[in-house]
Amino acid sequence: MSVWFEQRLQDCGPALAMQGPWGDCTYADLARLQAAVRIDLQALALDGPAVFAIVGEHEPAAVAWLFALAAAGHSVAPLAGNLAEHPGKLGEIGAQWIITSAGFGWTLLPRMSEPSAHAAFGQLRTQGHAGLVLFSSGTSGRPKVMVQDLTVLLSTYQDRRRNRLPVLALLGFDHIGGLNTLLGALATGSTLVVPADRSAAVVAAAIAHYQVAVLPASPTFLNLLLVSGEHQTHDLSSLRVITYGTEPMPSGLLSRLRAAFPRVRFIQTFGTSETGIIRTESPDADSTFIRFVDPSTEWKVVDDELWLRSLTQVGGYLDTRDGAGKFTSDGWFRTGDKVELGPEGTLRILGRLGEVINVGGEKLMPAEVESVILNLPLVLDCRVRGEANALVGQAVVAEVVAAPAADHEQLRAAIRNACRRALAAHKVPTRVRFVAAVSGERLKKIR
Amino acid sequence: MNMPTFTRDDAVKLVLARLARLGQELSQPALAQADEQTRLFGEASPLDSIGLVTLMSDLEDDIHKACGVWVIIADEKAMSRLTSPFRRVGLLADHIVELVAAARA
Repeated sequence: MSVWFEQRLQDCGPALAMQGPWGDCTYADLARLQAAVRIDLQALALDGPAVFAIVGEHEPAAVAWLFALAAAGHSVAPLAGNLAEHPGKLGEIGAQWIITSAGFGWTLLPRMSEPSAHAAFGQLRTQGHAGLVLFSSGTSGRPKVMVQDLTVLLSTYQDRRRNRLPVLALLGFDHIGGLNTLLGALATGSTLVVPADRSAAVVAAAIAHYQVAVLPASPTFLNLLLVSGEHQTHDLSSLRVITYGTEPMPSGLLSRLRAAFPRVRFIQTFGTSETGIIRTESPDADSTFIRFVDPSTEWKVVDDELWLRSLTQVGGYLDTRDGAGKFTSDGWFRTGDKVELGPEGTLRILGRLGEVINVGGEKLMPAEVESVILNLPLVLDCRVRGEANALVGQAVVAEVVAAPAADHEQLRAAIRNACRRALAAHKVPTRVRFVAAVSGERLKKIR
Repeated sequence: MNMPTFTRDDAVKLVLARLARLGQELSQPALAQADEQTRLFGEASPLDSIGLVTLMSDLEDDIHKACGVWVIIADEKAMSRLTSPFRRVGLLADHIVELVAAARA
């Protein structure tokens, strides 16, 4: 059970495991923290597996607890931010204990005495496996709660070769992508660099200061990095690899990134909270197509939708209504991602099926319009969505963050004319709205 | 609070100004020559459905700038009218005056 972690703690002793606002943490420090955690855990005198919530970010204490609980067969719900944000979530999963982590320290609070009665935990208990509880944004606004087999998930990091390339943690401790970054860094015996916040300026400064070599990021973040100019203010020459996922990559943005970082290799990643992160490769650096190369995952495309079946997929949702129709009886997960097949077993993510905008019967995906608009010099950011329209059913609306110098009236015409040149008529935004910031991440889930 | 009255004349001017701008954008200079009788949609109209929706969206912005209220030009009432307000510039101006009055009421 997570044998590789114990091995890394022994092998890598004096090497840095994590660096962040709380200071430096070596693998030996993590081993000492884990020993202290075990003492706390034994003092609880639990007579069976329990559900623990860890409230914190990527921090030494949170990581020590994660691995100690996994080794002891408990279930863990990582929650970001602070405790007051999560009363509903704690109740929903039936967390018995709460750990609040702060750098190297933690507090342990009892929450309730009875173990969670959820069936998903019962199944893990009979197998003697640890669980990982993840929340994903549901379409109804209520988060979906998923329980994954943590023992199996950890085992997939078993055979990673050692390297010493520091990795930056951009996604949180409560996110499957953030956990993948953490586990990947520790499994390879390298260093996880945790920025104080996720702004382009702070992240760029952290990359320069800690000589980060690997940056896992979203296309939106990478776009903001270029727009902010922070990649020129700071020396980012330590970067070797940038991985991107969580939303479709506009091909125009990839070209701009390749020009800004000529020595960096760009790799697309793919994953969902339900199936875990899947290892992929790109046919070539300029391509937004990917190929799945993960022995633990099967895939197929059904009616343009990507279906996945993986070793690391969730045992189920806590609320079984959430799972209705998402998994087939033979274990396939319907991702809800619309994909396009390419040559030689490759595919490209076009967007979410639910995001399809239907203009008078003609359909389009927001990403194809966004990628045209984002290429205009005076556009800093952009989101495209559908809006109910009495004339054509749905109309295409572009929300645009314009450069301060831009004349809105002229830019509006330039945006629509660029779309008219590049896209079919029904894809041209009929409404261009200038906003201070676009509304959140369009794709909430990692993909 | 006393709001300046939004007259039919104001509405006609707003629509014609927007048509002229859209004509520039679409390289259809004829749109700058429009008057109250100009057909907006249907036979002999320079606008297709997407063009018409574009005109409405931009006009909604213009109305907000001029009157401080947000209206939806293509509303259910407009769609169910026997004579569509989207047929001619003059009819659209009438419809806009009504919408603004209702929004201010």
